[in-house]
Parts: sequence; structure tokens; C-alpha cells
Amino acid sequence: MRDNLRMIFFVVILGMLLSAVIFAVNSLTAPRIAKNDESTMKRTILEAHAISYQEKDLETAFNQNIDVVKKGEKTYYVTKNKDIAFEFNGSGLWGPIRGVISLASDLLTIKKIMIIHQEETAGLGGRLAERKYLSGFENKKFMPTIEIVNRRRAEKDNEVDGITGATLTSKAFERLINAQVTSAVAAYRR
Amino acid sequence: MGFQLKKLAYTKSYRILRGNLWKDHPVSCGVLGMCLTLGVSNKVANAIAIGIGFTFVLVVTAATISAMRNLIPKRARVIIYMIVISSFVIIVDRFLKAFFPAVAEALGPYIGLIITSCILMGRLEEFSMKNNVYYSMLDAFSSGMAFAYTLLILSVIREFFGFGTILDVKVTPAWWTNWVVLGMAPGAFFVLSIYLWITRTLAKVDPQKLGHLHG
Repeated sequence: MRDNLRMIFFVVILGMLLSAVIFAVNSLTAPRIAKNDESTMKRTILEAHAISYQEKDLETAFNQNIDVVKKGEKTYYVTKNKDIAFEFNGSGLWGPIRGVISLASDLLTIKKIMIIHQEETAGLGGRLAERKYLSGFENKKFMPTIEIVNRRRAEKDNEVDGITGATLTSKAFERLINAQVTSAVAAYRR
Repeated sequence: MGFQLKKLAYTKSYRILRGNLWKDHPVSCGVLGMCLTLGVSNKVANAIAIGIGFTFVLVVTAATISAMRNLIPKRARVIIYMIVISSFVIIVDRFLKAFFPAVAEALGPYIGLIITSCILMGRLEEFSMKNNVYYSMLDAFSSGMAFAYTLLILSVIREFFGFGTILDVKVTPAWWTNWVVLGMAPGAFFVLSIYLWITRTLAKVDPQKLGHLHG
């Protein structure tokens, strides 16, 4: 009995001590982590709008070129000529996919898609995040939705080639991007 | 000189270093830590980051456990290893996220996987619980380094052939076709098994005598 009490006591005390250490480390690093995430977002937005900038002028470049517009819960990053960009997220085949899409001022034409985070199979679905693949989306239009096509070349304005060997990732991404853009654009128009 | 060298060969420190770095190598000989070895040996940058993070976690947990070894209730020791290991892994994770966000993003879930590595549990159970802080740290450091250099060798091979780069710098000629399979998990098995074959032969590991495996 005494032994059991001693054991529980030891584990609890040690757990509390280590929790205190983790708490201290977390409060020291949290502001920096939040700032890193914010900078990543700003970099991605600027790149999505194809605005060039110097790393040291990131803040100024962002503030000068981008208007941050909030509608409901969604944040939109609007340029001077009314092009918009916003964050999208949802599930891919294996894990969450998060990124930024920019649309021209007609709110139909894709300017650029950037992937910030994905967990698809490396070398197959993971190629989704490669510039070479994502550039296939540029200038395509949501009329009415984007379709990712397999087994033939994309021809129409709303068709994009799928990734060979990653049909399910392609399908998941098609579903995700259509749902997210449709609702975000509707909310923006309101 | 020869006399001194001979004497050196019998010190405990020398035996620890020689064992961990070559003769009883945790990966080559123990076949431990496979999850991380297969998972993060695809790029040199990942291998270096995990190698350093892993060694840090191993050294501090070994020192902590060794310092407390006479206080730790025997029946609760495994849970105590887990608490200590996971705390330090969280610290490494936060540190990387704060100061090296690009590395943290590339490593993704693998930092958390350090917690489950059997090299850690093995060294704590087999060595740190029985030896003083100095030897435990030496043991932990050499085991960590042994793991790190193995990761480095595997990742140089895999990144060169799989991606045509070293540390993300293009090193192969333009006509080079990447062996994509080496960048993916199945490729890790090929490279690792050839590596194990070579190192085990050179270190004269006798599979029949591996009964004493540490962990």
C-alpha cells in the first residue's frame, strides 16, 4: 500500500514538474510561432497575387498592396485591381490540405493556387503541391465548377488534368476546391 | 604509447563509445528505431534535424533518468520514461516550430515519433537505470550520434538518387532521371537492407550471438 502511494506520488510530482517546464517553453515560443505562421500566410498571399517583394520588406509590401476584408468568418485579401485571395482547407485523401487560392476580379478565373500544407503520398498525391502541377489550374474558370479529368487531356476552360497514380487525391482535391471556392465567393458577393 | 592505448581500450568510456558507434550499433546491430530511419532518411536536411533533435532528447532524458534512478519506483519506471521523453520531445517540437519553421514543416509528424523510438526506451532501461549521470550521458550521446550518422549516410544516397539533389541543391546533370522510388518509403527498405548487410559484415556481427541485444 505504502509502495503504491509512493509510486503514484512520484509520478504525479514528476508530471507536474515537467508540465511546468513545458508550460514555460510554450509561453516563450508561442508568440514567435504565431508570428512565423502569420509571415507564412503573408508570403503565400503575396505570391498568390504574383506580387514580388524582398523578404525584409514583407510587412510593407503586404500592407501597401493588400486590403484585408473580413466578411462573416472568412478573411479576403484584396488587391488594388479587385483580385481576391483567401485561404481554403479541407480533407485530401490522407490528411488535411490547406492553401491559398487567388481569383481574378471576375471571381471566376483562377490566378494561382498555393498549397501550404498537405499529407498526401510523397511522389504520387504529394505532387499536388508541386508548382508544375498547380500551374495547370491557372486561368481556368469556375464555370460552374472545376473538373479534374483523368484518362484524357483537359480541354475546356473548367478542366484540369488529374495526377497519374493519384486519382483519389485528385478527386478529393476537386471536391474540396469546388466546395470551398463556391461558398467563399458567395459569401464575398453578399 | 602502445601501453597507454592498450589501457584506453579497457576504460568504460571507450567500451561505451566503441559499442554504440560500431560494434553494438543501435541500427546496424540492434535494428532499432526503424520507423524514424525509414521515414526521415529521404532528405539530408531532415536527417540532420532529426539526428540533432533525437540526440538532444536522448541525452537529456538519459541524464534525468540516471539522476533519479534510485528514486524511481521500479514498477512505474516505463511510464516515467514516457513522461520524461514526451516532455522533451514537445520542447524540441516547439523550438523547431519557433526558430526553424521550414524544417518543422518538412519533418511534420516525425518529430512526435521520436517518442516511440525504441532506441530511447532501450538505452534508458538498459543503461541509464544502472549507471551514473556521466556514463549515461556518454552512452546516450554516442547512441544518438550512431543513429545520426546512419541517417546521414542513408539520406545522402536517397536524396542523390531519388531527387538528384543534396541539401536541396541540384547536383546531378540535366539528363539525370530521378529514381523516385528511393525518395519514397519502399526505397528506404532497399537502401537500408543493403546498408545493414555491408555494416554487419564489416562489424562481424554474428546473428547467432545477438541474444544480449540491448532493448
